[in-house]
Amino acid sequence: MEDARTIAAWITPGRELTAADEEGFRRLYEATSRPLWGYLQHASGRPDVADDLLQETYCKFLLRRAPAMDEAQTRSYLFRIATNLLHNRYRSRDDNAREEPAEYGADTDEDARLDVQEAMRHLKPRERELLWLAYVEGMSHAEIAAATGLGTMSIRILLYRARQKASEFLRPQRTKS
Amino acid sequence: MKQISCEHETDVIQALRSGEWTKELRLHLAECQDCSQALHLAEALHEEARRAKILCNPPDPHWILQRSRRIAREIAMRRMARLLAAMRILAAVYVVAATGWFLRGYAAFQYREVASAMHGAAREFALMGAIVAAVCVFAGLWPILRESSESGAR
Repeated sequence: MEDARTIAAWITPGRELTAADEEGFRRLYEATSRPLWGYLQHASGRPDVADDLLQETYCKFLLRRAPAMDEAQTRSYLFRIATNLLHNRYRSRDDNAREEPAEYGADTDEDARLDVQEAMRHLKPRERELLWLAYVEGMSHAEIAAATGLGTMSIRILLYRARQKASEFLRPQRTKS
Repeated sequence: MKQISCEHETDVIQALRSGEWTKELRLHLAECQDCSQALHLAEALHEEARRAKILCNPPDPHWILQRSRRIAREIAMRRMARLLAAMRILAAVYVVAATGWFLRGYAAFQYREVASAMHGAAREFALMGAIVAAVCVFAGLWPILRESSESGAR
């Protein structure tokens, strides 16, 4: 992972961008962009929003001139920026309700997919974020706390509640209301 | 304190991610409702993540880097513009104060005495003017010098 000075140099006004700069950023981007996009798409429910917020996340990351960080911290920092951008969007547009999910094309397990998507539609944005960070990204409670700005102690309870809520929709024997 | 989730839940999620299941963990999973619920949900979300990867088409990093550089340049320009505006206000205040001082001196003395009065206060006035000018020059140079030293350090 690139150090803070190198990252700051990439966007210094008046400084020519070198091939090494481009390569450095490309490495960082390729290592982090897909998981970040998945998170944004899942939390917002819209691929187009995920595209926009992904670009915003990296622009903010570059412009903030963050202190020196290792790979895990950089990843956590990117998720933190993405989470803040999602919350800003929820606040400005008042679209907490998950929008209709995108079509992912042909699928062999359509029922399971619909179950997950229905479960996600019934969850609050914060709950969707927590579930994704914990179960897909495999983050610890401390890492989730760093990424979401919540207290470490609250994560355990919130995650438990979110899991209980989501699991109701995943049960095969559930009855639809 | 009431325990609200199983302490092995994190191990189960890690095992799902890595594919490395220990015998103990499998036995625990068979007995623990919390962990099997977590695993069921995690598997479903992993499937979503897999689909999302297929759908994901992130923009070119070169474009994002160029956009960030453009925004950084705009921020620097705005900062300099604010500084220049402040310096213009400072200069206007300086001109008004100097004019006031001159007119006051002119009104207080006869025309013949103005020259000598100004001569007496000239050193003090010139010193004050030089200090204000030095402050203005330093304030103008400061961001430029800071930017240069940051670039030099890299």
